[in-house]
Amino acid sequence: MTPIVNNSPVIELHNVSKQYQNGSGTITKALQDVSFSIHRGEIFGLIGPNGAGKTTTIKILVGLIHDFEGQVIKASQNREIYKILGYLPQEAGFQEWRTVNHALTTFGLLSGIPKEHLPQQITEILTQVGLNDVLNKKIMHLSGGMQQKLRLAQALLHHPEILILDEPMTGLDPTSRFQMKTIIGKLAAAGITILFSSHILSDVEDIATRIGILNYGKMLTIGTTAELQAEFQIGNEIAIEGPHSSQLTSSFNDIDGVESVSQRSVSHLRIRLTPDTDVNAAMAAIMQTILDNNCKVHHINLVKPSLEEVYLKYVGGTVA
Amino acid sequence: MSLGLLYKDELRGYYKSKTMIVLFVGMPLISIFMHFLQPDAEGIPISTLVALLVASLGGTLSSVMLSTTVVNEKSRHVYELFLIRPIKRFHLLLAKFLAVYTCLLIGTIFSLSIGLTIDYFTLEIPLDVILEGAADSLVISLAAMAISCSMGLLIGVLTNSVMLAAILAIYAGNQFSMLAVLPGVILETLDPVLFSLAIGLSATIVIMGINYFVFEKKQF
Repeated sequence: MTPIVNNSPVIELHNVSKQYQNGSGTITKALQDVSFSIHRGEIFGLIGPNGAGKTTTIKILVGLIHDFEGQVIKASQNREIYKILGYLPQEAGFQEWRTVNHALTTFGLLSGIPKEHLPQQITEILTQVGLNDVLNKKIMHLSGGMQQKLRLAQALLHHPEILILDEPMTGLDPTSRFQMKTIIGKLAAAGITILFSSHILSDVEDIATRIGILNYGKMLTIGTTAELQAEFQIGNEIAIEGPHSSQLTSSFNDIDGVESVSQRSVSHLRIRLTPDTDVNAAMAAIMQTILDNNCKVHHINLVKPSLEEVYLKYVGGTVA
Repeated sequence: MSLGLLYKDELRGYYKSKTMIVLFVGMPLISIFMHFLQPDAEGIPISTLVALLVASLGGTLSSVMLSTTVVNEKSRHVYELFLIRPIKRFHLLLAKFLAVYTCLLIGTIFSLSIGLTIDYFTLEIPLDVILEGAADSLVISLAAMAISCSMGLLIGVLTNSVMLAAILAIYAGNQFSMLAVLPGVILETLDPVLFSLAIGLSATIVIMGINYFVFEKKQF
């Protein structure tokens, strides 16, 4: 299911800044003039290293931080914010003595859901997040992955329009990560606008319709993966698997449009093309070179630049 | 609305906790043991001795429990899930205070009732005198325990280590609560009940006021 995105912003941040002062008086600028908007139906991925300001941005959005500079506009401004927002905090714990049912009942009642609707709503949400048969289990007996799903369940309980997820995939095993990504995709397809932060770039690449890169409290760039790749002009790579010689490697270097050739392992070569190179022409030239050198190749394929490369270009110190 | 809900919720949590089992079972047992250990307490009714012990033991327990719970919940970011909902921050603390205090009240009344029963059958003091003494002891105990509970919350709000919170609650929280008890017992010019009531109430309000301001300013 694909999310249906329209151009009406549901959240807008204008020049939002936030600084913290520690006990010794040192001021840390957590956010500096951050501006961006999120559109209805979008899955917006917020990435950046530790301390980049992701959690601060999210806490401002959900109203946990009030003392900041700038402006935050939410589309349903006339409605109470807790009714339109669902929030999955990065490391929030539950009180250990609660059962799943008790925790969700409490959060549901505090969110204003009528008591008589709660049992059905809880059952539905638990099914939606894939947490069946745990209703009366104590939370402390649930696995880490199940607890993360429960955090998602409490965020979804009141049917929010906007879902804000702080590192939803952290600490999950591959199966749970896949399940979480599937759930997020289904929620977006159902019309929920989603903002999430993550360290796991492949997950962001998999599900985000747009990505913002945050570093040192500044929003460095925003766009789709393709837009970010184009902006940076990172050339494609051609991966070759098979026995090769130094003569073959130097022959590749002579092909027009080849920026560099690197050996990843004994039998793996990576040829980086310059960004403006015609990939088909370069591929044909590479194949011809292989034939001319009488080499046997097991695999040859085109590798598009990953989000990781774009991210490293921005965060790795080359762009400020 | 949220305070009532949070209060019921916390009450349910504390009521089932192991510490409260000590309170509900341990304190009444003290009443019985006191009778066998101190059959002749220089004419002082068992109920009075029990009330003083309960104020000290119950106060310590509640202070330690509240302080360590708050530190633990702060460090585990439990409050974030509550604060994104339409509740007043301070209600989170007030609900804990009221829940623990309710449990203490039940435990204390239960213990005192046992003490009173023993006094009734063993002492040759008229019932109305025993009852009056027990009521006085109850008021003094409750005043001291109110201070202990509010101090426990303050220690929990201000510290970030469970160990430190427990130590401070034992050595500071509980000692501070004795402010409501000792002057009235030592100084003959003071009415111990009125004194403990006044000190207990005012100290609790002041400490809860500090809790309010500190907790409101906390960054979650």
